[in-house]
Amino acid sequence: MRSSGFKLAAAVSALVLGLAFGVWAEEGVTDTEIHIGQWGPQTGPAAAWGSVARGTDAYFKMINAEGGIHGRKLIHHMFDDAYNPAKTLAGVKELQEGTGMFAWVSGVGTAPGLAVKDYLMERKIPWVGPSAGSLHWITPPEKYLFAVYPLYYIEAKALVRYGVEKMGFKKVAIIYQNDDYGKNGVKGAKEELAEHNMKLVAEVPVNLTDSDLKPHVMKLKNSGADMVLLWTSPKHAVITVGTSKAMQFSPQFMSTSTCSDFPLMMHISKGLWEGVIAATFAELPDSPHPLMQKYKKDAFEKFAAKDERWGLFFYAGIVFAEPLVEGIKRCGKDLTRERLVKELEGLKDFQGISGKIGYKPFDPNDPSCRQGQNHSPDG
Amino acid sequence: MLNFLQMVVNGIAAGSIYALMGLAMVIIYKTSEVPNFAQGEMALVCSYLAYMFLDQYGLPVYAVFPAVLVFAFLLGCLLEFAVLRRAKEPNVLGMIIITIGLEMILMGIVSWKFGAEQKTMPFPVSPYDSLVIGKLYISSLEAMMLCVTLVIMGILFVFLRFSKLGVAMKATQQNATAARLMGIRVRRILMGTWGISSVVGCTAGLLISTTLMQPYMMWDPLLKGFAAAVLGGMTSLPGAVVGAYLLGIIENLFGGYVSIEFKSTVAFAVIVLILCIKPSGLFARHYVKKV
Amino acid sequence: MDMKRDYYEDIRFFTSGVTVFWFVVLIVFLSAFPFLVKNYYVYVANYMAINVIVAVGLNILVGYTGQISLGHAGFFAIGAYGTVTLMTSAHVPFLPALFLAAGTAAFFGFLLGLPALRLEGPYLAIVTLGFGLTVTQVIGKLDFFGGRQGLHAPDLVIGSWNLDTDREFYYLVMVITVVMVVAVRNIIKTRVGRAFIAIRDADIAAEAMGVNLVVFKTLAFALSAFCTGIAGGLYAFVLRFIEPEIFTLLMSIMFLAMVVVGGLGSIMGSITGACLLSWMDLQLRNILSFPHVGTWLESLSRMYFSITGVSNIQFILFGGIMIAIMLFEPLGIFGIWIRTKKYWKTWPF
Repeated sequence: MRSSGFKLAAAVSALVLGLAFGVWAEEGVTDTEIHIGQWGPQTGPAAAWGSVARGTDAYFKMINAEGGIHGRKLIHHMFDDAYNPAKTLAGVKELQEGTGMFAWVSGVGTAPGLAVKDYLMERKIPWVGPSAGSLHWITPPEKYLFAVYPLYYIEAKALVRYGVEKMGFKKVAIIYQNDDYGKNGVKGAKEELAEHNMKLVAEVPVNLTDSDLKPHVMKLKNSGADMVLLWTSPKHAVITVGTSKAMQFSPQFMSTSTCSDFPLMMHISKGLWEGVIAATFAELPDSPHPLMQKYKKDAFEKFAAKDERWGLFFYAGIVFAEPLVEGIKRCGKDLTRERLVKELEGLKDFQGISGKIGYKPFDPNDPSCRQGQNHSPDG
Repeated sequence: MLNFLQMVVNGIAAGSIYALMGLAMVIIYKTSEVPNFAQGEMALVCSYLAYMFLDQYGLPVYAVFPAVLVFAFLLGCLLEFAVLRRAKEPNVLGMIIITIGLEMILMGIVSWKFGAEQKTMPFPVSPYDSLVIGKLYISSLEAMMLCVTLVIMGILFVFLRFSKLGVAMKATQQNATAARLMGIRVRRILMGTWGISSVVGCTAGLLISTTLMQPYMMWDPLLKGFAAAVLGGMTSLPGAVVGAYLLGIIENLFGGYVSIEFKSTVAFAVIVLILCIKPSGLFARHYVKKV
Repeated sequence: MDMKRDYYEDIRFFTSGVTVFWFVVLIVFLSAFPFLVKNYYVYVANYMAINVIVAVGLNILVGYTGQISLGHAGFFAIGAYGTVTLMTSAHVPFLPALFLAAGTAAFFGFLLGLPALRLEGPYLAIVTLGFGLTVTQVIGKLDFFGGRQGLHAPDLVIGSWNLDTDREFYYLVMVITVVMVVAVRNIIKTRVGRAFIAIRDADIAAEAMGVNLVVFKTLAFALSAFCTGIAGGLYAFVLRFIEPEIFTLLMSIMFLAMVVVGGLGSIMGSITGACLLSWMDLQLRNILSFPHVGTWLESLSRMYFSITGVSNIQFILFGGIMIAIMLFEPLGIFGIWIRTKKYWKTWPF
C-alpha cells in the first residue's frame, strides 16, 4: 500500500512540476511581473535593521509607478525572520517553492544569510546585495551571489590609513562587537597597522547584550589611545562615546558605515556624535545628490509608511537593490537568470547613491569578481 | 590602586540598576513565589509612555515622571488582577510561563507602537557629565541613580517594617492561609505587591532610558537583577541590594583584570560558587524542608 | 480500561489494540508525509521533529524529575558544535559523531546536575541560565570552533547515502525522533523513571525509600542533555551553518515553554507542545497576509500604532496563546486532552 501511494505521489508531483515549468519561461517572471524576495528582521533584537527591507519595498513601488521595467512590474515579497536563521530558511523555502522568486535582494545579517546561501546557490538563484559586509559572501565567490556592501574589513583598513597617514595618530585602539562583524574590523585594522609597523594598543570586545561599558572604556583609556575605532552597533558606539566623555577621555573616534546615520546618531547621543569620523557606503541622508533627492521625493514620501524615517538603513534598502534593478533593465525583454548574471558581470563603475559598483566575469579564484563596492567613498 | 578604586566606583554605579530590578523581583517573589520575567517589560511600557509624553507632547519632566509611576502601580495591579489571579490551580512553572507570555505581549505592544529604532529620553541630568571626587569619576546620572536606589530601599524598609500594610504583606508571605484567617485580604495584598514592584522596576526603566532606549533594553538589567536577587537570597530585600552591588563590583574587577569578554558571564560562575556553599543565597535563611 | 491491574500492564508498550492501530496509522502517515506536501512543509516537519526531541528530553528533567532548566540551548549548542567539529576535524562519520556529541552534552548535563543537588526553584533557574550563556561565550572564544565567525556543516553522508534534500533528511530525523521518543517513554516506565517521579513528588521521602538522589538527579540532567544534544546535532544540518549567537536564552525559554504548554510529565504533551509552539514560531510571520485579519490589523496600526512595527503582532499573539493555555489548564494541552476524553467517555449520557 505504501509503495503505490509513493508512486502516485511521485507521479502527481512530477505532473505539477512539469506544468509549472511549462507555463513560465523562467521561474518568477511572467509577461507582467517579476517576483523578487527579501527577508529582514521586523521584530526581535535586530529589528532596527528592518527598515532595509521597507526601503527596498518603497523603491520597487516607485519603479512600478514609473511604469515598471520593460512593461513588467516588480513584485516584492518580504518577510520577517526576526534574525533567526531557522525562520529565514523557512521563509525563503516557502516563497521560493510557493510563488517562485526570480531573484533575491539584500537580506539582513550574516547568520541568516549563510543559512540560506547554499539553498539559493544550489538552485542557481541570483542573490544581490546581502546587507552585511562579511567576507563570507565572497570567500569563495559564488556565481549567483553579488555583494554590494563594502567589506567591514576594507572599511577598517581605509579608516586606519586615513587616521595614521593624514591625521598622524600614533596609538590606535579598537572596540568591537564580539561577532563576525567586529572581528572583520579587527582583522582589517591589524593588517593596515602592520603595514605601518604599528600594533593595536587595545582590542576591546563588546558583547551584544552588554549595557554597561565602563570597564571597556577604562581599558581604552588606560591604553592611552589617541584614535579609537568603534566597530559596534550604534547603541554601543553612543554609549562608548558618552562614557568616554564622562571619564574625560577624548580620542578621535572613527566608526563604520553601520553607525554613519549622522542625524540619528547625533540625536541619540544628545549631540556627542559631533566630530566622529565614520565610513559610509552611500550618500548621507541630507545629501543634495540629485538621485537622493529623487528617491526621497518619489519613493520615500509617496510609498513609505507615515512613521518611517528617511534614515541610512531605509535607503540602504535602495542601495542594495540598485544593481539588481540596473541588471534587470539591461536584460531587456528577454529576462532569464543566466542573462541577469551576465549583465551584472558587465556592470562597470555603475553609479547609484552608493560608491561605484562593478563586477567581473566569474572566476572561482578571484573574490573581487563578486564584490561590488571595493572602497568606501569617504574613507 | 587608583584603577582599582575607579573600578569599584564603576561597579557600584552599575549595581544601582541591578539593585532596583532585583528589589522589584524579590518583592513579587516573596509573596507569590513567582520569578517574574515580565518585570523588565512592565518597566519598558512605562518608560516608553514617559518618552511619549516628554518627547511628543513636550510635557515637563516633573509632571510626567510621577504620573508614570502612578501608571506603573496601576499596571502592576492590573496584570495581577486580570491575568495571574485567573490562573486555575497554579504551579510555579505554569506561572513562570504566564509571566513570559506577558513579557512577549508587553514587548510586542511597545515595539508595535514605537518601532525598533533607538531613542533617547530628554532628561535634565546628563548621563555623559561626570562628578570628580579626588581622581575618581562617576557620571552624574549614576550618582543620582545611587541616591534613588538608596532612598527607595529606605522607603521600602520603613514601609514593610512599620506600616500596617507592610506588616500585612509580611504576614501574607509567611503564611497566606493564617493571614487570611486573621482578616487580612490576601488577594488585595498580592495585587498591592505587584503594584509596588512595578513602581520599583519602573524607576529602573526610567533611569536606563535617559541614556538610550530600545525595545530590548530591559533584558540585560532583568537578568542581572534576577541574578543579584538570587545571590542575595531571593527573599531578602537587603540581600538583593547587597547582591546587586557585589555583582556590579565583581563584574567590573573581572572585566578590568581578567577578561572583558567573560565579564557578563563571570557573574553566573560566582553565583554557582556561592550557592554551592549557601544554597539559599547570602542572606536568606535556609529552611530545611520537611516531608 | 484505564485501570492498571498489574505491573506488566503498566510497562506494556501498547495498552490496547486501539493504540496499536493508531501507532501504525501514525507511522504510515509519517512515512508518506513528504510525498503528500510541498517541500517547505517537509522542512517545517524537520524543524518540529527536532524540537520534539528537545521537548521530550527536557520533560524528563522538568516534568518527571521536577527540576528546572533555562539553559538547554547550551546543550543544544554542544550537540551542534560537537557533531560538526567531529565530522570536519576528526572525520568521524555522521551517526557516531552525533552520538559522541550527545554524549559530551550528557557529560555536561551530569556536571550541571551536581549543583542541582543542593538547589531548587529560582536558584537552579539562575545556575542553568548562567550555564547556557557561558557555553556560547566559551564556544565563541575558541577559534577551534570557528569562534564568532561560525562553522559550516559538512555534507551529510551516511554510508553511501548522501542526504542533501529536505525529504531525505526528513527520514533520518523522523527515525531518530521516533526512536528517541520511544526510548524516553520506556525509560520513564522503568525503575529509573519511577525514581525520577519519586524525586519530583518528595525528594527527601524518595531518599528515605532508598532512591539515590545523587545518581538519579544527575542522571535526569544527563539524559535530558543527551536528547537535547542529539537534537542540536540534527539542527546543525538543518541550518548548515552555526554560530554562537543562534543559541540564545530565548531558545532555552522557548524549549521550557514547549514542555510546560504541552503538559508537564506527559510524553504526548511534550510532542504536541513542541509541534504547536514551533509551528507558531515559523508561521505567525504570515499573520499579515491572512485575508481580512491582515487588512484589519494594518488599519488598526495606521490609526493607533505604527506600520513599521506591525510585525510585532506575532509576539502579542504568541504570548496570548501561551497565557490562555496556561490560565485555563495548568496541565497544558495534555490537560485539555484529558478533560475532553473524560467528557466524551460517557457520551451520550
